[in-house]
Amino acid sequence: MPASGIRFAVTALLEQIVNGMMMGAIYVLVALGMVLIFGVMEVLNFAHGVLFMAGGYLCDVFVVHATGSYPLAVVLTMVTLAIVGMALERTVFRRLRVNLPMQIVASLGLILIAENGAVLLFGPSALQLSVPSVRSLVRVGELSFTVQHFIIVGATVVSIGALHVFLHHTRFGTALRATSQNAEAARVIGIDSASIYRITFAVACALAGLGGALLGPLFLISPQMGDLPLLKGLTAIVLGGMASIPGAIVGGFAIGIVEAVSTLFIATEYRDMVVFTVLIAILLMRPWGLFSVRVRGDA
Amino acid sequence: MLPARTAPLLSGALFAAALYLVPVPFAGYPYVLFALTLTLCYAIPAMALNLLLGYTGLVSLGHMGFAGVGAYVTAVLMKHGIASFAPSIAAGTLAAGFVGALVGVPCLRLRSHFFIIVTLAVGMLLFLLFNNLDWLTGGAAGLPGIPRPRPLDLGFAVVDPRRPVGIYLLAATVFVLVFVIQYALVRSDFGRSLAAIRQDETLAASRGVDVFAHKLTIFAISAAIAGLGGGLQVVFLRAAAPQSFGLLEDINLVLIVIVGGAGSLFGPSLGALLFVALPEALRVADAFRMVLFGAALVALALFAPRGLWGLAAAAARKLRSDESAVARVGHS
Repeated sequence: MPASGIRFAVTALLEQIVNGMMMGAIYVLVALGMVLIFGVMEVLNFAHGVLFMAGGYLCDVFVVHATGSYPLAVVLTMVTLAIVGMALERTVFRRLRVNLPMQIVASLGLILIAENGAVLLFGPSALQLSVPSVRSLVRVGELSFTVQHFIIVGATVVSIGALHVFLHHTRFGTALRATSQNAEAARVIGIDSASIYRITFAVACALAGLGGALLGPLFLISPQMGDLPLLKGLTAIVLGGMASIPGAIVGGFAIGIVEAVSTLFIATEYRDMVVFTVLIAILLMRPWGLFSVRVRGDA
Repeated sequence: MLPARTAPLLSGALFAAALYLVPVPFAGYPYVLFALTLTLCYAIPAMALNLLLGYTGLVSLGHMGFAGVGAYVTAVLMKHGIASFAPSIAAGTLAAGFVGALVGVPCLRLRSHFFIIVTLAVGMLLFLLFNNLDWLTGGAAGLPGIPRPRPLDLGFAVVDPRRPVGIYLLAATVFVLVFVIQYALVRSDFGRSLAAIRQDETLAASRGVDVFAHKLTIFAISAAIAGLGGGLQVVFLRAAAPQSFGLLEDINLVLIVIVGGAGSLFGPSLGALLFVALPEALRVADAFRMVLFGAALVALALFAPRGLWGLAAAAARKLRSDESAVARVGHS
C-alpha cells in the first residue's frame, strides 16, 4: 500500500508540474510583453490582459470565418495585434510616458472598452473554439495531456528564442536595448526612439495575442479571460525585477508551477493566495526582485 | 478679495452647511438620499487614498482591502452584539490602521512600481481572506443583518439612523470629520514633509525628513480612514460582502481619486459623486455605455492630466487672469 501511495503522489505531482509549465508559459508570454514595454518606455500597461483576450477572440474569428486553419489563424492574430499595438502606442501610451496615475486610468479605460466591446460583439457567454490539437491526447505513463499543452510550452520557448535573437543579434534589437538602457544617449547617437517605441508595443502585443490564441481553445474564450494572466504576468515581472527579461521568464514559469503544485496540498480557493504570499515573501528578502536589475534613475 | 487663509475655511464651511441641508429638499426622496449616502461612504476611503496618492505620491492599488478590514471588524462586533456602533467602528478603524502599518513596514521599502504591484497583491490577499474565511466573514455569501445604530437624541432633534435621513446625517458627520482631518494633515508641517517626499525623496531625506517614518505614518492613517469608510458602508448597507472590497472596487477607488483630481481637497469627493451617484442615477450597466465610459477615461487621461478638479481649477485660473487682463487694459 505505501508503495502505491508514493507512486500516486509522484504521478499527481508530475501532472501538476506539466499543467504548471503550461500555465507558466502563458504567464511568460504576457509578462514578456509587459517587461518589454516597461523596460523601454517605463509604461505599466495594465491593459495587457485585454490584448490577451483579444488574441483569443481574433483567433476564433480567423479560424471560423476566414482560414479554417488554426496555425494560420494564430499567425494572423499576432499580426493583427501587432498593428493594434502600434496604434495604441501612437494614440495613447506615447503621450502618457511620464504620468503613471494616468497610465493606470487610460489602461482601465481600455479594459472597459475592450471587455464590454467583446460582450457587444460576441455576447456575454464564453466561446468554445475546437481545434484538432486540443482533441488529441498524448499519453505519458499513466497520465494524458492534450497536444495543446505541449504546443503552448513549445511556442513559448520558440518565442523566447526568437526574442533573444531579435534583441541581441539584429541592429534594431540592439537599438531597442540601447533605448532601454538610456533613452537620451540612444537619441544622441541617432536612434529614432519613436520607431523603437512602436516596435516594442508591436512585439509586446503580438506576444499577448499569441498567449490568448494558444490558451483560448484549451479553456474558454470569454471577455474576462485576460484578467488572471494580467495579474500573474504583473506578479512575474515584479518577481523578476521589473525590467529583466530572464526574470520575467523565470517568474512566469515559477508562478505557474507553484500555483499548480499548491493545489495538491491546499484548497483551490487559496491558490491565488499562495502566489501573492510568495510574491510578498520574496520581495521581503529581495526588494529588487529575483533578478535585480537596477534601472536608470535609481540611486 | 478674501485673505488667503480664510477663503478655504469659508468654502469648507459652506460646503459642510450644504451637506447638512441636503435632507431638507430631498427628505421625501429616499432614493436620492441612498445614492448620496453611498457616495459619502466611498468619498471617505477616496480621501484616505488621496492622502497617499495625491499628497505623498504613493499609489496603493489595494486600498479597499483596508476598508474591508474596518468593515468586517465593525460588522462582526455589531452583528454578534459584542459592542454598539461607536466602539465597533472605532475598533474597525484601529484594526485597519494596524493592518496598514503591518503591511507598510515591509512594502514601503520597495521602489515605486514594486510598491504599486505589491499593494495590488495585498488587496487581493485581503479579498481572498474575506471571501474564504467562512467561519468569521460568512465567506462569499457575506455577513447580512448588521443592526443600525440606536437613535441619538440631540435635545433639539432626534437623529434616527434607521431612517434614510438619519443615516445620511451620520455619514455626512463622519465625512466632515475625515475632510477636516485631511485638511489638517495636508496643511500641517507633517503634510508639507509629505509633499517634499512626493517631489523629491532624496532631497527630502537630505533635508532631515525621515522618509520611511513619514510614509509609514501616513500609510497607517490612510488605511485607518479607509477602514472607517468601510465600517460606515456596512452599517449603511446592513451587510458586508466580499465583493465590495475586491479588485473591481480597488480599481474603482483609484479611478475616483485620479479622475476627481488627486492632490486636491475636493477632488476625491467630486470623483465619488461622479462614480457612485451618477451610475446609480443613470443605471449604467449596459455594455455600450461602459464602452463610452471607457473611452471617456482614456480621453481624460490624455487631456486632463490632473483630473477633473485640476481641469476646473485651471479653467478658473485662466478665467480670472483673463478678467484681470481685461481690467488692466481698462485702466491704461
